[in-house]
Amino acid sequence: MNRSSRGALVVALALMLCACVTRPAAKYDWGTYDPSLYTYYKDPAKASELMAALQSIINGANTGRGAVPPGVYAEYGYLQLQQGKAQEAVASFQAEEQRWPESKAFMDRMIKVASTQPQPAQTKEP
Amino acid sequence: MGIIRCTLVLALISVLGLAGCATAPPRSDYSAFRTENPRSILVVPPINKSVDVNAPDYFLATIATPLAERGYYVFPVNMVRSVLADDGLSDANLVHSGDPRRLGELFNADAVLYISIERWDAKYVVLSTTVTVELNYSLKSAHTGRELWKDHRLLVYSPQNSNSGNPLADLIAAAVAAAVTKAAPNYMPLARQANSQAVSLKGTGLPAGPYDSLYLKDTGDF
Repeated sequence: MNRSSRGALVVALALMLCACVTRPAAKYDWGTYDPSLYTYYKDPAKASELMAALQSIINGANTGRGAVPPGVYAEYGYLQLQQGKAQEAVASFQAEEQRWPESKAFMDRMIKVASTQPQPAQTKEP
Repeated sequence: MGIIRCTLVLALISVLGLAGCATAPPRSDYSAFRTENPRSILVVPPINKSVDVNAPDYFLATIATPLAERGYYVFPVNMVRSVLADDGLSDANLVHSGDPRRLGELFNADAVLYISIERWDAKYVVLSTTVTVELNYSLKSAHTGRELWKDHRLLVYSPQNSNSGNPLADLIAAAVAAAVTKAAPNYMPLARQANSQAVSLKGTGLPAGPYDSLYLKDTGDF
């Protein structure tokens, strides 16, 4: 079998594999969301790395690299809230509900939680 | 002659390919799903029936992407996990045995996805390692509580039996593969593949969600 017919075979095989599974192009820019969350679960001390990953997704989308996936603003806001940055967290939760109306009730509740948090709640570890 | 043979091989492969699609499992029942057409999915922490205590968290890192890419609003999985824990619901078994309508009220979700990790293990057989991931998915309505969709995935990975004809080289290659997987068996690619199949396969996967152009237009496939 010559080279071009072998190429045709490979293409045919590839097409067949695709035919059974619908795999459209990605809708969102996920950055390193999946591996960063995995790393965070492996070592919860790495929250700042997860935050950086989420922030880069948010910034990347703002410069037109791709859309921010559902949940990313909220995840980012929740980490901000855990760090005592209540105001920033509220802004992130608002961004989530503006982009995704499905999240409104949940985000409104979280905004309430963040707003009632004592402002200078930063208890930094030594 | 070469061209004829190639054409024959191509034809044979096409037939096999069609057979591959035709022997796919029978189409799932989508009648309940289609009466509700959920827009948003709340993924609650999975139940763990494996011996690996880390499996639920690691798995959680892989599930949001395929669901969102399918066109659904997916509630922030890590945040949901933490909020549930803050509300005294850190026990996945407790969450799974509860009423999906109650969770629906808490988060205003349309549907709740319950996942059970049946297997998440690596078996070391002399020189080769087999990694297995087995999952059960159940999507329940947060409005009525009934099941809208379910799926089961079993994926097994074992390093390819690379037979080079040189027994010593094969032995070394197998030993290397076993050592690599033994040090840190990597379940993530298997979990991702399982999720991708569960969600996307025609006839058994999830119909396209509201953020997909095929939303409500794919009734022929699902």
